[in-house]
Amino acid sequence: MANNLEHNGEVVEETSHEVTIYAEPIFHVGNFAITNSLFTTWLAVLLIAIFSLVIRLNLKKVPGKLQNIFEVMLEGAMSLTDQVTNDRKITNKIFPLVFSLFVFILINNWIGLLPFISAIGFTVVESGQNVFVPLFRAGTADINTTLALSLMIIVASNLFGILTIGLWKLFNKYVNLKALGEIFTKFKKDKTVVIVSPISVFVGLLELIGEMAKIASLSFRLFGNVFAGEVLLASMSAIFLYILPGPFLFLEVFIGLIQALIFSLLGAVYFTIAAQDHNEHEEYETVRALDSHESLKLSP
Amino acid sequence: MDEFIATFHIDWKLMLAQVINFGLVFLALYMLAAKPLKKLVDERSNEISKGLDDAKKSRELLLLATEEYKQNSIKLRKLSVDTQVELKKDLEKLRQENIEKMRLNTEEWKKNRIKQMEIDKRELIESAKKDVMSLATFVAEKIMNDKNK
Repeated sequence: MANNLEHNGEVVEETSHEVTIYAEPIFHVGNFAITNSLFTTWLAVLLIAIFSLVIRLNLKKVPGKLQNIFEVMLEGAMSLTDQVTNDRKITNKIFPLVFSLFVFILINNWIGLLPFISAIGFTVVESGQNVFVPLFRAGTADINTTLALSLMIIVASNLFGILTIGLWKLFNKYVNLKALGEIFTKFKKDKTVVIVSPISVFVGLLELIGEMAKIASLSFRLFGNVFAGEVLLASMSAIFLYILPGPFLFLEVFIGLIQALIFSLLGAVYFTIAAQDHNEHEEYETVRALDSHESLKLSP
Repeated sequence: MDEFIATFHIDWKLMLAQVINFGLVFLALYMLAAKPLKKLVDERSNEISKGLDDAKKSRELLLLATEEYKQNSIKLRKLSVDTQVELKKDLEKLRQENIEKMRLNTEEWKKNRIKQMEIDKRELIESAKKDVMSLATFVAEKIMNDKNK
């Protein structure tokens, strides 16, 4: 909040340093408002591109220090993704996306934590008050970024599902027409299908709602954590600028890493789930149940 | 929903821009760094495993060669011993043959010599007979001449 203060007999207008929940525009290109988070994301993209270029130009069969670190990172990420997917083929397919996602989020999370970066900005007058607009804001501290990434992950995972198990099976996962049909086809064999099939249809609809929930949970988890971290650091700096934010800064560095890891691993989980055919397992179980039922009837 | 969009300043253009940004990161990181590096690591792993395989094969070959060398050495030693024995046998045979040949030659020579000596003896006796006869004739002629005188 901006207040007018009296200092040595002069009225000094104080500048407001509020942390807003949304990213502030810093300039416009036509109608398109370039926000500070988008600007920071460009910086992150540039950093990653330079890093990639440096790696590319220094690639050797006998690795140097930087290449060694990157190789270890890559191997570690690969084995972690392997643990999630339990299938090397799926890992090979989704790893480039998951790893890029991890690096993108990590660098965006950490850029916002750079010391004094939030102090770089300019002052604008809004409703007669001086408001400080920071030039840099972590890309992931903007819901637009996290929402875009979440949407992309969910859409990509479903596309991956279509490519892996087919459109019909994926469609039946959400709108279970197959289960509805089974009411008529399997009714003679198994009367319980009248109860089980509508439940399956309802579960499919829940899965559809679950996809929406995934978008919300992914985007708000990341945004909430990063934004809360920025607010926490701003608050601590406001209390005592010099020492107090230190431990919290380290905490936020750790949180940034963890959040990037959670987001990318959840992405890997969604991809793996989308690549699995649940009906096969269910069909197998049904056949087994029917078989045991038949054998019970046949046995004296 | 409108309130939510207004509160968080949700803008589809910004979302699209962030997706493009991520696409750029994906391209840069994967195409420039991760993919070539993975290729390089795979190549290196293949080379190492090939090297290990080659070393294993070389070791097996070396063991085989050593074994073959040992076998050949044993064979050669046996062969040399056999050859030596054979050579000795051959030498002995040759010696025996030579001795036999010499003995036969000596026998032959001795026979021929005896034959020659027989011939010589006969010729000598013949010559002596002739001499005795001429001497007797001479003596007889002389006696006759002396009587006639």
